Amino acid sequence: MTPPPAVPCRDDPVGDGGWLDAGCRLVQDGGVHDAAGLATQARDLVHHLAGAHRVAAVAATPLRVAVAVLAARTLGRELSLLRGDSLPTGVDALVGADGMVTRFPGDRPPVATGFSLVLESSGTTGTPKRLRHDFDRLTARVQAGRGRGSVWLATFDPGGYAGLQVLLTVLRGGGTLVAGPVRDVPALADLAARHAVTHISATPSFWRAFLMTGVQPPLKALTLGGEAADQALLDRLAAAFPGAAVRHIYASTEAGALFAVADGRAGFPAAWLETGVEGTDLAVRDGVLWVRGPRLATALADGRGVTDASGWYVTGDRVAVAGDRVLFQGREDGMVNVGGVKVMPDAVEALILAVPGVADAAVRVRSSPITGQLLTAQLVAAPGQDVDVLRPHVVAALAGLPAAARPRRLEFVSTLELSPSGKKKRVQE
Amino acid sequence: MTTIGLNAGAMLAVIHNEVLKILADKGATWAGPFGPETKFLGDALPFDSLDLATLLVAMEQKTGQDPFRAGFRQFTTAGELAALYLEG
Repeated sequence: MTPPPAVPCRDDPVGDGGWLDAGCRLVQDGGVHDAAGLATQARDLVHHLAGAHRVAAVAATPLRVAVAVLAARTLGRELSLLRGDSLPTGVDALVGADGMVTRFPGDRPPVATGFSLVLESSGTTGTPKRLRHDFDRLTARVQAGRGRGSVWLATFDPGGYAGLQVLLTVLRGGGTLVAGPVRDVPALADLAARHAVTHISATPSFWRAFLMTGVQPPLKALTLGGEAADQALLDRLAAAFPGAAVRHIYASTEAGALFAVADGRAGFPAAWLETGVEGTDLAVRDGVLWVRGPRLATALADGRGVTDASGWYVTGDRVAVAGDRVLFQGREDGMVNVGGVKVMPDAVEALILAVPGVADAAVRVRSSPITGQLLTAQLVAAPGQDVDVLRPHVVAALAGLPAAARPRRLEFVSTLELSPSGKKKRVQE
Repeated sequence: MTTIGLNAGAMLAVIHNEVLKILADKGATWAGPFGPETKFLGDALPFDSLDLATLLVAMEQKTGQDPFRAGFRQFTTAGELAALYLEG
């Protein structure tokens, strides 16, 4: 049974039991959407989604995500937030980037699952991994009405875990979220200055570029997430914003928000391996961080669990204990992080190797003071191939990748540099 | 004393040249002024942080120096970046 559209009342504008804070606002593309406006849009969407069992929404902007979340919550339906153009199976209603609803009436109605959120983990190739999150767990740490007066800047993809956390913090806690038409750092820095932003949660790569703009909004709280935060950057931020709280968060779509580190030092205290932190148990096994806690994704979207039988989840993040600290040392699976975008060098290399006329190629990972890491590539042309003819074909083969996943320099060489064991050198010093 | 013996003006010209190459690679053009006060991000230059990261790779190849080896260092303008490479 589909419940009827909620009837609004003064203290409960969305008909959601007062979940939405009356003081919240979204400022997007020059428009201001207050709680009443969001509630109106959500009620309209509820009307258009009546009878739907499983809903997907293109997570185009914070506004679109906010309205879709409020509507799905009212309807008590599962909502998949889409970051690309791949539609999950079993969805019978799609909210497009323009807010229009498309229905897919199947012969057999899919099973309704109740309200939960299905998020896509970020990745550069293939079908995205989808993970189901319990809404109450996602919002457990947001205190109603506590954020009033704060002004947040939207820097993350609104459909990703981090972007959603910021959005839910504002919707539930109150305050203003300012979003721009593009997530270009100089444009966002300008937006931060014009709206006197007080809170920013962003990747370390964003912060490095933000510092370079010289913009000085009245920040009270700076959060770093999505990549490992290095000590030099933490020191620079503390110096540039001496009155602000600086913390780095360890979170992922799979693991949820596990813990925040607020002591100004990179990594996290080794003591937490013994004591746990914020309800989360931490362990290092074979050099990789394992976690167990209350905010993990409840399951993959197809129902399979994400943890082992004891509730432990393997993060895939390699760590090393150095004195009283645990420091992050990259990914076990070779995945690298370019400006907050997760990239698999192997997959990029495969695209290059598939170009006719390329005899061999090695995608290299360089550390970058701006984007954390950066890909470059060495290529060997097949005998008789004209490099100037080949280069545009390689560029075209990579054009479909996000900018961060494309090797930024294509260097043609006669032979690839190999490691002493004869393997391609992935990491370039 | 620098390892490649460039003065500030010459270093700035190297940076300008690499900036133009990176812009050309992404199909962008820039005919505006480029000087020590030019900001890489947040000004009229159509540069993003990936372009800036690429510039530092190119500069390391050109100069054989990496002033960021020990970590991030603050710079905003082309002149400030040139100074980092001129430290030697």
